[in-house]
Amino acid sequence: MHFCSRSNSFQVNFKRMDSMDGKKGKDFSRRNFLKISGKVVIGTSVATVLPNLIWLDEGLAAIPASEGYLLVDVKKCQGCMSCMLACSLVHEGVESPSLARIQVIQNSFQSFPDDLTVEQCRQCVTPACVEACPTGALQADPKRGNVRIVNKQKCIGCGACMEACPFTPSRAYTAPDNAFEGQLKSRKCDLCATAPYHWDPAGGGPNGKQACVEVCPVSAIKFVKEIPAQEGVKGYQVNLRDQNWRRLGYPVD
Amino acid sequence: MNGYAGNILHIDLTTGKISTIPTSRYESWVGGHGLGSALFFDLVKDKTIDGFHPANVVTLMNSPLSGTLTPGGGSRTEVQGIGVQTYPIGWFTRSNFGGRFAAMLKYAGWDGVAIVGKASEPVWVDIRNDDVKIRPCAPLSLWGKDTWACQEIIWDYVAGKNKYGGWIKPAGDKGGRTTQRPAVVAIGPAGENRSRLACLIHDAADAAGQGGFGAVWGAKNLKAVSVIGTGVVQIANPKALLEARIQQKKNYAFDLENLKAPNFSTDFQSAPLPELIYKGGQRPNVEQRPAACIGCHSACRGRFKDGKGNEATCFGTVFYWDAQTLDIQRTAADLINRYGVNAVEMCFGLLYIYLLHNNGLLESRNIPKCPLDFSKYGSEAFVEQFVKMASYGDDGKGHASEFGKDVADGIIRAAKKWGRLEEDLKTGSMLWFPYWGMPVHKESRAQIYWGYGTILGDRDINEHCFDWLKWDASVAKMYGRRPRVPAERAVKIITDKMVPFQGDMLMMDFSDKNMYSEHMAKFVSWHRYYTRFWKQSALYCDNRWPDFVNVYREDRVGSTGEAEPKFLAAVTGKAFTFLDGIELGKKIWNLDNAIWTLQGRHRDMVHFAEYYYNRNGGGTGGDLPNEYLPGLENGVWDYFGYSRRKFDKAKFEEFKTIFYKLQGWDPASGWPTRKTLESLQLANVAKELEASGKLGKE
Repeated sequence: MHFCSRSNSFQVNFKRMDSMDGKKGKDFSRRNFLKISGKVVIGTSVATVLPNLIWLDEGLAAIPASEGYLLVDVKKCQGCMSCMLACSLVHEGVESPSLARIQVIQNSFQSFPDDLTVEQCRQCVTPACVEACPTGALQADPKRGNVRIVNKQKCIGCGACMEACPFTPSRAYTAPDNAFEGQLKSRKCDLCATAPYHWDPAGGGPNGKQACVEVCPVSAIKFVKEIPAQEGVKGYQVNLRDQNWRRLGYPVD
Repeated sequence: MNGYAGNILHIDLTTGKISTIPTSRYESWVGGHGLGSALFFDLVKDKTIDGFHPANVVTLMNSPLSGTLTPGGGSRTEVQGIGVQTYPIGWFTRSNFGGRFAAMLKYAGWDGVAIVGKASEPVWVDIRNDDVKIRPCAPLSLWGKDTWACQEIIWDYVAGKNKYGGWIKPAGDKGGRTTQRPAVVAIGPAGENRSRLACLIHDAADAAGQGGFGAVWGAKNLKAVSVIGTGVVQIANPKALLEARIQQKKNYAFDLENLKAPNFSTDFQSAPLPELIYKGGQRPNVEQRPAACIGCHSACRGRFKDGKGNEATCFGTVFYWDAQTLDIQRTAADLINRYGVNAVEMCFGLLYIYLLHNNGLLESRNIPKCPLDFSKYGSEAFVEQFVKMASYGDDGKGHASEFGKDVADGIIRAAKKWGRLEEDLKTGSMLWFPYWGMPVHKESRAQIYWGYGTILGDRDINEHCFDWLKWDASVAKMYGRRPRVPAERAVKIITDKMVPFQGDMLMMDFSDKNMYSEHMAKFVSWHRYYTRFWKQSALYCDNRWPDFVNVYREDRVGSTGEAEPKFLAAVTGKAFTFLDGIELGKKIWNLDNAIWTLQGRHRDMVHFAEYYYNRNGGGTGGDLPNEYLPGLENGVWDYFGYSRRKFDKAKFEEFKTIFYKLQGWDPASGWPTRKTLESLQLANVAKELEASGKLGKE
């Protein structure tokens, strides 16, 4: 049973893992976690080590919906990757596409519009990454509009979130973190809720500003509070082009 | 080191040795051209060698801004080395390309690459972070491929079993992840066959067009350099960088909600439009997107639904002006990028051959049989044959041809071999190659700084710092539109920024009376210094900088002078003013002149083609028939048309003397003096000049 609506109010989503819409669906069991993490000794009481794990094969999960989402216009994007550079800059104080939580992937030999994709985190209504996290590091943070955020203190860099993300490239991914002496930590889009180098005193998050939105030279990224349609890409890849874009000689449909 | 990776990659293709040079050794040059010139000076002992000599060092340098959010400043790679295109001497020269390479090289952990030697077989360089390999071309059958096929093959090889679109780990478990394709710069068949028209191509159309570097690489048996990096650029002040970017966009860049100037212009405020100069000003009537280099705030290229002419710009779109259809002209742009030939020389080289044919001269004198069928001129088959001819040095259809061989040796050398050089450079009616054997670009009899910068330097300057002014003024005067600002205001705004010469408005008086003055010498000097440092070393893009006169500002004053050092400081954390950059640019310019002096330069050879002295200008190709620039005439500033004049040879000689004195060079020879070099901390350069008997007299 699955329902959600597009209102701004707090949403409770009931979902079985085996009916999730996505490119990969995984039944994430205790046994699978033990295989991936390599950090829990077989035989240890998993429940005591991982008290917050949600056992999806046993029941239902309740994760509140995010109060913010990023939508992109893939046909408007000029491929400058400024969003990626802004993202790594505000989050980690460096410039690195490899540390960006939004990815622009392109091929200059391909024809428009197949030459480029923009892959942003969808702040999924049923976040597989949250459900997969064995330590509860990846959570819908109630203090930050239920944005799906990695708590790096709790993250053990197991990569379960990366494995669980149904999208390619996975929106959560692990990389060495200099703030933690090079340990692997997960990263994913937090709508700039926890960006230590945020330029605006009011900061980010659903009630603040996102670096990628601010920096995009052609306004091809938009922040919204309404929950986009979860199936397919239509909810997240939208048309942000108007008569001004037409005036520059570009298509608006 | 904020902004820097810390190391420069040194590759010896002869020995196969790969080593590193610490960037700190050259940090005072900042990056790009300055660093490349200093490195070249140290690594190449005999500066008189030919560009094809294995000892020639080609550098590809980025800068602290590469791979950052600096608007129009994060994407350029500066290429340097002894070129093979200019005549009679292949000068130590430069070229430059955009796209993704400079940034990716930085992310891989390198501030540049210096390549020397010659491999025993065709090779390509595979850089994956700090893992660098020289690989033979044979296993991938790269040699013989056009530049696009070469890049795609390398992409697939680097990806291994992975597919692009997801995360890959190109350096294995040692390195990080990326979703990006390698940034590859390659030569096509033209470079492989050492055509002097050969260039370097990255992605679809990012070209290091001038200098014949494609042929230099071909002589080294070097097909391509591929780089993929998963690292970071350390930023001294991340918040300051982001704030500067946001404010710069807000205050000086195009505004989609308020498009004040919805046209392409070669400066900061331009709207994101592909810089297409197809015949008739046509823009392809197919769906398209703007395509920008990494980090740029306003694209200057495009990608199209029919896949033709992706990312082609500027002269790449001027080429084959007489194409029967727009589609054929777009295909011609793709051909020169795939085969890797310089658009400008192809453009004016074809024009020369066509005019020889039209005047019934192709079958006269010492000209070998021309295999081109002019009954098909304008067709796709014709241009394909011509591009192949220039690339392979044959008839363009796979058969030996002395004519084709001559074309591939460069148009100016072909004209010389055909016994036509002196005559055709005297009349200028067919061979529009006014300086150092290079084809014309702008009408230098109007935009005199363009001609001066070129002939006093090493190549067609291709620096559009003031070209937007010519367009703005010319369109205004010829079509009755309002210019951005009146002439006097434009001159005041611009000259106020030209430290340390600020205040001298006569620097921008382009009238006849001022053409050879010290004011003009100062203008030309400032332009050399600004471009040598801020555009070719710090690597601010020529299509977007400087920002002199900006229509989004109420007072029309652009951000140049404040913006350039602001971004550099945010990245590096170092105090470095705009004037510091101008002074470093002067140092770099002096080092370059020292290298040219060692190569054999003397003031006696610094002259335009004869036709510049005996024939009035009149516009070039797609340019306007008359070009308007500021002038002070009868005590009044206005924009005047200055194309219809020629240079006076005797007065140009006087101008050279004024210019050399301003530089602190020996006016008798144009050679640098010890005093000037030592004042610029170039004592080692003075020593080498003295040893060669080429130190200027004081």
